[in-house]
Amino acid sequence: AESVQLTVGKASAKSPAQMIDKDSECTRCHDENEAKPILSIYQTAHGNKADARTPGCQSCHGESVKHIASKSEAPDVIFGAKKGVYTPNKSLDQNVACLTCHEKDPKRTHWQGGAHQTADLSCASCHVVHSAHDKVREKPTQALVCFTCHQDQKAQASKFSHHPIPEGKIACSDCHNSHGSAGPKLLVKNTVTETCYTCHAEKRGPFLWEHQPVSEDCTNCHTPHGSNITPLLKSRPPFMCDECHDGPHQSKSPVAGNAAGMPGGLTTTLPSESFTGRACMNCHSMVHGSNNPAGALLHR
Amino acid sequence: MTAVADDADALKRPTNSVEFGSLYSSQNSARFGQYNGLNDGGFYGLGSFDIRGGDGYDDSKNSALRWKLNGSNLGTTSRNVDGLVGDQGKWKVNLGYDELQHNITNTYQTPLQGSIGGNNFTLPENFGSVNGAGTSNPNTRTLSSIQRGDFHTERESVSRKNGSISTSYTFSEQLSAQIDYSHLDQSGAKLIGTGSQGGINLLGGSTGRAEGVNILMNPTSYQTDNVNAALNWKGDKGHLTSGYYGSIFHDDFNSLNWQSSQASAASGCAGSNCYVNNTMSTAPSNSLHQANLTGGYNFTSATKLAGGFSYGYNAQNSSYAPTLIPQAIGTPYNMMQAGGLPASSLNGGVETKHGDLKLTNQSIKDLTLSAGFKYNERVNLTSSNTYKYMNIANVPYSGVNTPYSNSKTQYETSAAYRLTKAQNVNLAYEHESVNRWCDSVVGGAQCVSSPASEEDKIGLTYRLKALDDVNFNAGYTYANRRADVSNFQANAGNYGITSLVTATGSANSGFNAGNFLGYVAFPYANRSQNLGKAGVNWQVTQKLDVGLNGRYSYDNYDATLGVQNGHSAGVNIDMTYSYAENSTVSAYWNWQNGQRNMRSGNGGANGNTSASVVGAASQAVAPTNLWNNQLEGNSNTVGLLTRRGGLLSGKLDLIGDASYARDTTGYSTQVPYLATCGSATTLTCGSLSPIANEIISLKLTGQYKVHKNGKVSLAYMYQKLNSNDYFYYGEQFGVTANRVMPTGLQMQSYAVNVVALSYNYSF
Repeated sequence: AESVQLTVGKASAKSPAQMIDKDSECTRCHDENEAKPILSIYQTAHGNKADARTPGCQSCHGESVKHIASKSEAPDVIFGAKKGVYTPNKSLDQNVACLTCHEKDPKRTHWQGGAHQTADLSCASCHVVHSAHDKVREKPTQALVCFTCHQDQKAQASKFSHHPIPEGKIACSDCHNSHGSAGPKLLVKNTVTETCYTCHAEKRGPFLWEHQPVSEDCTNCHTPHGSNITPLLKSRPPFMCDECHDGPHQSKSPVAGNAAGMPGGLTTTLPSESFTGRACMNCHSMVHGSNNPAGALLHR
Repeated sequence: MTAVADDADALKRPTNSVEFGSLYSSQNSARFGQYNGLNDGGFYGLGSFDIRGGDGYDDSKNSALRWKLNGSNLGTTSRNVDGLVGDQGKWKVNLGYDELQHNITNTYQTPLQGSIGGNNFTLPENFGSVNGAGTSNPNTRTLSSIQRGDFHTERESVSRKNGSISTSYTFSEQLSAQIDYSHLDQSGAKLIGTGSQGGINLLGGSTGRAEGVNILMNPTSYQTDNVNAALNWKGDKGHLTSGYYGSIFHDDFNSLNWQSSQASAASGCAGSNCYVNNTMSTAPSNSLHQANLTGGYNFTSATKLAGGFSYGYNAQNSSYAPTLIPQAIGTPYNMMQAGGLPASSLNGGVETKHGDLKLTNQSIKDLTLSAGFKYNERVNLTSSNTYKYMNIANVPYSGVNTPYSNSKTQYETSAAYRLTKAQNVNLAYEHESVNRWCDSVVGGAQCVSSPASEEDKIGLTYRLKALDDVNFNAGYTYANRRADVSNFQANAGNYGITSLVTATGSANSGFNAGNFLGYVAFPYANRSQNLGKAGVNWQVTQKLDVGLNGRYSYDNYDATLGVQNGHSAGVNIDMTYSYAENSTVSAYWNWQNGQRNMRSGNGGANGNTSASVVGAASQAVAPTNLWNNQLEGNSNTVGLLTRRGGLLSGKLDLIGDASYARDTTGYSTQVPYLATCGSATTLTCGSLSPIANEIISLKLTGQYKVHKNGKVSLAYMYQKLNSNDYFYYGEQFGVTANRVMPTGLQMQSYAVNVVALSYNYSF
């Protein structure tokens, strides 16, 4: 949009009524009969005209003189990712209009060079700024927007064990900052553990007896979006524990049917508590760390 | 002009709505109602509202003041209420309340008496001792009819009630401040195993063993206060935010107490005299205080610097759980040996430090360059001590706590270049260094088997806009991690320092954290990773979109024993057809597959008793006693969503949503050194019956506009879970494992019908 004169970000001295009149250069055609929401932008922060920072139509779309003269000519800036009547501008140009106001914001500090910026996404890929209810900014509907691209996570979020994302009680943005972050996977905090502790502070410790992979990265054992094994586990004891331990007592021993604890084939000898049910965690239950002076082996 | 202005004026005003009605659910199911509040069959009230107002919606008044009130799911335990008022550009206040009940199970059985959320559980007077096999491992089938009669069912759930207030104030165009506060109250319980099996010898030679592993209702009685405060400054070229984050966690309990039965009746054993009192710790209260500084500076419109720094201190000094445990008769049981308890609390502290900087440059046309640096450090300042206590088998044990620290340094650089108007390529490189250590460990024990690793990662992504309507992308990433695994005598498992010195190679010797020489835990092993992904999205017409995406990754671990390799793959196909205004149909299919292959060595302790030749005997284990275990997971999800609007002259909207998902997780163990899988009673090799969960879901919703402002909504939902999980077999009376008290937990299959009728009034 270098060649387009955008006035977005420039405080207006006009009264709300004067700004509405200025908008009417556009709204006389783009009225309530438009299939896409246009005028409902006045219900959003972008339509609160008494805030001098609030843009008008042409602040973001450009003066669009040719378009006003002839419908066959596209406005200066077309937002969005899909081709409609006109082809959208490239995302870099679309984003200029938004970032002029929104770049200097702690939540967008890491946008440049972030995963979504380098993937050539535009703000309008996720946001519908004309809508009174922008789905991606409302907790119950946000995931639906993210899932349009993140399809694996969509499937995982409905697995037997999952965070309450489909139920609308946790939003993707509770853990991720889609505008970029200093953490891995666009996490809102600097590390995986810091992010998890924002809700699971009981796991923070520090514990007297720490479990090394726990204090380093929760995802060594857990998968956050959904799992077939509760609670959000990548695998199940004893096999999960075997991935790091072949030392303590029976974890050097191969195990198959024992772990099932099934009556078939096990009618004369009961299965070992090391393999059955909670397996290792029947006794080593304090896997996130123990604060008991008699709990070095995470028993207590 | 005036007419248009009138239209605009009318459309500026928000549409308010109030919805109320009733819902009927056909079945009790903790799993179906896991998060939606519908864990019980029966009727529920439905209620929600969305009301907005303020002069800021009226351009005839020069005011930016707007307010809104929202409420949803008011008739269930998933209710939410929010209120917001603000003078846009000047100040804002937001109040919120959110409730969530996580329902875990309705089928847990226990003979222990005590309420959910409490931390004391006792056996009934008539339970007595379990005399299955004297003091050896008992047989659960010997529980008497009286003992079995003592079992009762408890429902497990945890409730989260979160209240919040958020305020912001804009002092000027450059300066603003924000303070957020939330109070989270958690109550209920989750099930936990208790490491109290083994013989705690008490009461004149009697033994606390028998059904010694009790699965208890571990109380969740927590309060967490979070504060976020920030001062934001922004100028023409840069912006800076200084902030504080505080998180104070409080647990009402510091111990969980319960009684376990004895296997051999003690002299004078009668009623509660036959029980052993046990205790374990709960999550300790703790606090985190963190100072943050983030900002950015634009040298030019094309060259930008962004970064942040933070310092945090996490403290924990909750008093230890009691170690002197009163018993029904005789002297209290002291879990600690004489002089074995160096302090009454940990006085633990952890410092967290973070720094990041990223420079991006777009001064060359079509080329975006970036270079970044990140540093994260967790330094555990807690002092190390020796704790001498009685282990759960009532044997003396000396443990040394090893306060664990680590740091990670990352350097990353990338170049994104627009080859043509339709082609982009992005090349990225990252180097990561990890260090792990413990400071001043008593006895000089080493605490990590892998003190350092270096990893290089390179990735290439290509995007092509083949036509105006077709977008193709492909990417490949290769990563190589080189870990230092030479520290095989690490005491990572907190094994006793005395046996570490002798390095007998026994399970708790401290020798390679008790592992065989050559065994490496997968997070710390040498590893190479290959990841490829590709996708195409085609906008066939303005009405039809089709997408096809896939990925495959392969990890290979360089370890004699431990995880050897694994792969992960996924394919997704989705299609959306908008066949009329407000009318769409979309379908998707998602397939995912993952596999992990592990190799280990049988043989138990290596038998080496000489510290000078540590590991020699272990090396002799392989290859003769090697065994393999394979984990394979498969996931298939298909769905169809359709919406038809504008029926009956625009009065009726119909929505249909059908989906089917099947997930399986299977384990297979091969023991090449054995001719058979062992006896039918041990089954050391073979495959487990897969953990299979199949969810079928159908939702139909009809919304009929009865008048200009009123809509009646009728919804029907059917959801069925077919769950098959071997875990539950081992929880049933008669087949529970040695020493484990049965819980009777049942598989959580369900078939639930839900009908909801509501009226929505908008104004």
